[in-house]
Amino acid sequence: MSAARLGRCLSIGIALLAPVRVDAADVTLWHAWRGEERAALETLAARWTAAHPDAPLRATFVPYDALAGKIEAAVPRGNGPDLFVYAHEKAGTWAARGLTLPVAPTPGALPVAAAALADGERARGWPLAAKALALYRDRARVPDAPADTDALRTAARRWTRPASGTAPAQWGLAMETTSAYAVAPWLHGFGGGVSDGARLRFRRPENVAALGFVHALAREVVAPELSGAMLVRSFDDGRAAMAISGPWMLGELRARDAGGVDWAVSPLPVVRATGRPAAPWATVETLFLAREGPDARAVGAWLAGEESAAWRARAGRQVVARQGVGYDDPALAAFSAALEHAVPMPVDAVFALHWEPLARALRRLSRGDAGPEAVLAQADTDVAVLARPPPAPVAPAPWLAGTALLAAAGLAYGARGAWRARSEMARAAHAYAWMAPALAGVGLLVVLPFLVGAAVAFFETDGTSWTFVGATHFLDILLARDWGLASPLSLWRTLAVTLLWTAANLVLHVVLGVALALLLREPWVRLRGVFRALLVLPWAIPSYLTAMVWKGLFHREMGAVNAILAAFGVPAVGWFDRFATAFAANLATNAWLGFPFMMVTTLGALQAMPRELEEAAVLDGATGAQRLRHVILPQLAPALLPAIVLGSVWTFNAFNVIYLVSGGEPDGTTDILVSQAYRWAFSRGHRYGYAAAYGMLIFGMLVLYGRGVGRLLGGGVAGGAPPAREDKA
Amino acid sequence: MADVDFVALAKCHDGPRGPVEVLRGIDLHVPDGAFVVLVGPSGCGKSTLLRCVAGLETPSGGEVRIGGVRVNDVPPAARDVAMVFQGYALYPHMTVRENMGFALRLRKDPDTDARVEEVARMLGLTGLLDRLPRQLSGGQRQRVAMGRAIVRRPRVFLFDEPLSNLDAALRTQVRAELRRLHAQLGVTTLYVTHDQVEAMTLADRIVVLQGGTVQQEGTPQEVYDAPANRFVAGFVGTPGMAFLARLEPGAVVGVRPHAVVLGRGPHRGTVRFVERLGAEALVHLEREGEALAARVDGPGLASLPEVGAEVSFGLDAVHRFDPATGARQA
Repeated sequence: MSAARLGRCLSIGIALLAPVRVDAADVTLWHAWRGEERAALETLAARWTAAHPDAPLRATFVPYDALAGKIEAAVPRGNGPDLFVYAHEKAGTWAARGLTLPVAPTPGALPVAAAALADGERARGWPLAAKALALYRDRARVPDAPADTDALRTAARRWTRPASGTAPAQWGLAMETTSAYAVAPWLHGFGGGVSDGARLRFRRPENVAALGFVHALAREVVAPELSGAMLVRSFDDGRAAMAISGPWMLGELRARDAGGVDWAVSPLPVVRATGRPAAPWATVETLFLAREGPDARAVGAWLAGEESAAWRARAGRQVVARQGVGYDDPALAAFSAALEHAVPMPVDAVFALHWEPLARALRRLSRGDAGPEAVLAQADTDVAVLARPPPAPVAPAPWLAGTALLAAAGLAYGARGAWRARSEMARAAHAYAWMAPALAGVGLLVVLPFLVGAAVAFFETDGTSWTFVGATHFLDILLARDWGLASPLSLWRTLAVTLLWTAANLVLHVVLGVALALLLREPWVRLRGVFRALLVLPWAIPSYLTAMVWKGLFHREMGAVNAILAAFGVPAVGWFDRFATAFAANLATNAWLGFPFMMVTTLGALQAMPRELEEAAVLDGATGAQRLRHVILPQLAPALLPAIVLGSVWTFNAFNVIYLVSGGEPDGTTDILVSQAYRWAFSRGHRYGYAAAYGMLIFGMLVLYGRGVGRLLGGGVAGGAPPAREDKA
Repeated sequence: MADVDFVALAKCHDGPRGPVEVLRGIDLHVPDGAFVVLVGPSGCGKSTLLRCVAGLETPSGGEVRIGGVRVNDVPPAARDVAMVFQGYALYPHMTVRENMGFALRLRKDPDTDARVEEVARMLGLTGLLDRLPRQLSGGQRQRVAMGRAIVRRPRVFLFDEPLSNLDAALRTQVRAELRRLHAQLGVTTLYVTHDQVEAMTLADRIVVLQGGTVQQEGTPQEVYDAPANRFVAGFVGTPGMAFLARLEPGAVVGVRPHAVVLGRGPHRGTVRFVERLGAEALVHLEREGEALAARVDGPGLASLPEVGAEVSFGLDAVHRFDPATGARQA
């Protein structure tokens, strides 16, 4: 490579490392808007820059999934933007962590947006746009917007038909009846809600009535087990006459001349029993101020102002968070009207705890496990567990002393070893030098995060405040202090499920893998190379894609598994409604993912095995089964045992499959240890310390297992006397 | 005990370019208790023939009979034959004792232990019974493989080049042992080798195979003294027979080195090189562009001719073969 090319490569590399190198006078803005919204924002940025050449506005697109993480990583280190756009739910946490600064309230903002961002006299950001659920309807079937819940039910009933012959089932309504977000409008409409003002409380007569209504809808007129994407599809291809969704569905529907339905949007209907409108959550796309500066504040106020709002509504086709904006598009006007009754989503951390218990209550209701009152009561219990007060702080001094002592002992031991081996180490100095980069990498990427994780396990933290709690988390987990041993949240029950999971998988992996490998070796099998390649395919495809495909296969209504069963007259199975079937679905997925590894290992071992051995056994009178047991399997053992050990550890930690296929359903019973640890960290209120303790316990178990297995392998297979030299006698 | 018969036995393999004929109509009788060696170059079909007896290959035509009974469709285990493989095929995870007793244990024979120990004594393996194959030397493994065959007391022993993995000294020793065992047990034995010395020393009868057909069958002496054709003549005997096409009209003359007498006789040749082997020497000559060798021993060793010298020689005994067909002429 020439010096010039090297230089060019280096400069490209440096440019990649520092993608947003800007002048100090620039105002930078990060956002995740796409399509028309993005174009509208960029036009606005250009307008601002034209009017303020001394403070140009640079809008940078960051993918939505990455945006929050980048903000949390970059802003505290001073590398963040001046402004960024994000949903308002995070406003409370971010303001508490000092990532965002308060701003002046925006005059002319929609009341719901102003309320969502209000922080005393000030605001947590500038409201730009707002979103809430509304009712889509096929005008051909439902010409007028249903005024109340009775009208909604009547219209929906009219267009609900079971499948007959080749005609697919028709549904009156498509909505996610097991989503806490989608059910919230009815809780509010019946006069209830997730909080009684002071704390989260679900079991209230209003909520019971709301769930009764939702459950009746689900039984009568709603397409079952709908995820977001399937909801869009069922409405778009006319299988559902109505759908409850947000403005994000607008862009997904086909135009009428492209075969789409003739649809219209209206706010959700009034609840007949209370006379109150069904009130969805409102989420506000908020412009946050991340760095103080007069230009940034001016840009913020201007972007939330009238000129910008009008442009975003027209060119960006956005439902803007501002009063008095006219819309050309009646659907946008309808969404804007829906915001009038919407409830601003609270921004505190406790509120965020309600999602999982409520969703679980809805799933139990949908499965028919219990009635509305019982599932809500259970949700209250679950919330109490999640929202329980943090453990009491523990005096760190004895722990620090203990840790220091341990570290000193470890260092002394290491130093003694190094001193004893000093001459040898000196001789091999160059070898250590060669190893140094790899060691540094392992230290940085493995050892350091491990130590940090281990340390976190002794703290109670949500990422902002840290309290030292000693071994409390470990004791809580090991003694199942907050729930019974048999609860799905208990470590011991989860461990039992994990062991069952691992054992069942390994049996399937080995049996399938060995059987296929033996089959592929048979001379009468034609196209062996093709089959071999095909059978390795499940392994070659990223496991999360496979897991998602399998989840689809097990879908109650649209999955291939039930379709095949239906051909044999078996009624539709709700695979994720019961432990046994959900476990079986997970097992099928992971068996599919895991057998190629065993098959390839076996094929390799078989290739190394002389055919004469089997022929000798044939002549010795061994039947096929006897040959397998006495000759082939013992030969495969040295190759298979390490593969089984590896496979068992992978399966033990097969997060992808559990998380993506059953998602722990029903009620977390199919969760394994790693997915449980994940939930503690990320979906049960960011209890990082508790989750870290979980991780450490999993690590400890695997270490013990590894030692046991190491002894087994060391003694049984790799050991034995060394081979004798050839003697010439 | 049993005799073995091959009747018009044929075998085709499916090769990558269509079927390959490996055996083309083999007719052969192996008398009860005989030690018969199948010999021939690589690819002549001798191993396939053996595997047809074992039942590891299915003939595509003709018959294999053991004890007068057609066994083409009899499964290998029911034929009561034992085979010693080239690579020994000892079960690596079983001790010597387990290896030798495997067949009997499968049959749940109550005498398993006693018979294993008896055969181990016969073969001098008693001290090795609890070792694994990888803890044995090549020669020991070979003996275990034979022991495993002997323990079963089969009607027929099949040996597939059992000595080819041993060094030369060991091979001589095992050859003697094999003869002794055969004399002791008297079991019909089919023995495959490509080494004609092994064939000559071991066999009651030799079968020379080439191209999937029997070239000649007879006692070692018969085959050596009266080779049926040029192929057999060239294959049997060390050093090999020389063939002279220009000595007599209408015949190719075959002559073994010991039949060439240097110093007197009607023929003349040039010395090309001399191999001294200690007790004897081989003088390689060229006559009218054709090579032949003369064996010299005894007093002649003191006065070997120089390379390049012109010498006269005579021929004691010659074989004549048809130049076109290679068949022996009377």
